[in-house]
Amino acid sequence: MNARRLLPSLLPTLVASAIAGALVAGPAAAETCLSPYIKARAAGPEKVMYLWMLPAGQGSDFLAVIDVDLASATYGKVLKRIEVGSAGNEAHHMGYTDDRGRIWAAALNTSRFFIFDVRTDPMNPKLERVIDDVPKLTGLSGPHTPYAIPGRMLITMASGPDGTGTGGVVEFTNEGKYIASHKTPNNAYEIVVKPEFNTMLVSSWVPQKMFMSPLDKWDPKQFSNSVTVWNFKSRKIVQELKGDPVPLATRWALKPNSTYGYSISNAGNSIWMFRRGKDGKFSYRKAADLSSNCLPGDLRQSPDDRYVYVSCIGSGEIQAWDISRPDKIRLHDTVQGVVQANMMHLTNDGKRLYVTNSAISSIDFSPRYALRLIHVAPDGRMKQDPFFHIDFSKAPDGPARPHDMLLN
Amino acid sequence: MRWLAATLAAVSLAAHGHEEKSRPASPLAKTSYMAVIREAPDFTLRDVEGKSVRLSELRGKSVLVAFIYTTCTGACPLLSARMSRLQQKLAAAHIPAALVSVTVDPERDDAKTLGAYAKRFGARPGWYFVREEPARLAPVLAAYDEWTRREPPGELDHPARLHLIDAAGRVREIYSLAFFDEEQAFLDIRALHREASSR
Repeated sequence: MNARRLLPSLLPTLVASAIAGALVAGPAAAETCLSPYIKARAAGPEKVMYLWMLPAGQGSDFLAVIDVDLASATYGKVLKRIEVGSAGNEAHHMGYTDDRGRIWAAALNTSRFFIFDVRTDPMNPKLERVIDDVPKLTGLSGPHTPYAIPGRMLITMASGPDGTGTGGVVEFTNEGKYIASHKTPNNAYEIVVKPEFNTMLVSSWVPQKMFMSPLDKWDPKQFSNSVTVWNFKSRKIVQELKGDPVPLATRWALKPNSTYGYSISNAGNSIWMFRRGKDGKFSYRKAADLSSNCLPGDLRQSPDDRYVYVSCIGSGEIQAWDISRPDKIRLHDTVQGVVQANMMHLTNDGKRLYVTNSAISSIDFSPRYALRLIHVAPDGRMKQDPFFHIDFSKAPDGPARPHDMLLN
Repeated sequence: MRWLAATLAAVSLAAHGHEEKSRPASPLAKTSYMAVIREAPDFTLRDVEGKSVRLSELRGKSVLVAFIYTTCTGACPLLSARMSRLQQKLAAAHIPAALVSVTVDPERDDAKTLGAYAKRFGARPGWYFVREEPARLAPVLAAYDEWTRREPPGELDHPARLHLIDAAGRVREIYSLAFFDEEQAFLDIRALHREASSR
């Protein structure tokens, strides 16, 4: 059957599909700052948070399961903790697999990967697998961000197998079978893929041995200062964008075919803008200076590409930047009072911004560990929730450091 | 009713072969990186005529395995439409390849229903639409990390991935709707064909 005969015969199917899609309330969009290949959450507000934590004293790193269902009697409480059976891993970042069925949780210090099943029972995650020998297997160490692509996970790795030198990106199947390693000329930190342009960006920071040392041992001469641009399908680096040192979180504007986005430079106290030109080449320039004591830790984006949020580890401030004029961003609002503010997680409706406040055990300067919530009004103004406060400095099983969060 | 007019207009465009115009055009990669992801789990399922289709018996050519169901109103009809165009391109280029669409909803997709679906998408010989009773299908879905979850009103939530398997029976690429473009899949299959031919 040729195309001319085929297409009219498809009309009923495609009409039914489109009308059903328009009539039936579909799933909500996935949260911002996740891989675009991750399945969206079911419609409606979040029910549960998974928080990847390490004890501030003795004991195993663990995944905390937190009730964030406003209608629940246990709202704002830690329901359970799933211990991973080993200590000192340095729980840090996590990522869903493409189907939201598993969480990959990476350990900065031991380079282990912990794979949790959250599909069978989202309220009761189960530790499904631990991958112990990652440096030997991949030739790389210091895993930072697990990032989903169909059926697989990409994970940025800061350094070589001994914790020094440059890193790369590794690939595994969702179940944990190793596939490949791709070297980078810097200490890889975070990934963002824009499928429309077949482009992947990888930001950078410092090698594993350095980030596991106290801050006064960090050597600025070894700071990475670049974002690599990749032909995603061929897994080849095609450009290296150099700017201020330690460009951590990197976000690409969400609207389809958007050509721009931003990075935060932790050591440069600045926001940088990248833009893809018509010839496919990228430009990279400073978009704004932050206050000298900010030390930005995370960058999040609103679902409508109107705001980005910056957490300041140094000053304990959360900043909302108006990016509606992408080339002329401006500070829109600030909230104070989350000491050592670091990771953030914005809900898919853009209304609730969860914040944690442990960076790395080697550089934390305050033990007032907590999970806080900031409400974002339609005008982009922020207000900290005075009642939502999980104080991990006084947790029943001992103080613990909260870092990355995922919602379900 | 403006939305309905807009929807019908969009669908009308889609039905006349322009549905991909609204989809962002992805630059094609002539040299895709296709590592061996893993051995493709073998399976034997039944086609719409009840004949057995065994994956390992399709060795020697690339095989694209999709997981769909016929009443799906989300990704499946778009994936099947793109597979239809892919089959035409492969035939025109004389590149040997097989397409396999596995229904994840065998309770509703009996052989007759699946056959009608295949016909709607213009399937030619070499595109197998296969099913099996739920108990026998379950291990196949599990082996491909597929799962289903019933959702009202009659929809099935499932990952809807496509697995590209090379002539030696190894998974070399996994696509989802956002990744799956018949032009790129054609280039990937052609690359695997050249790789196999050069051995």
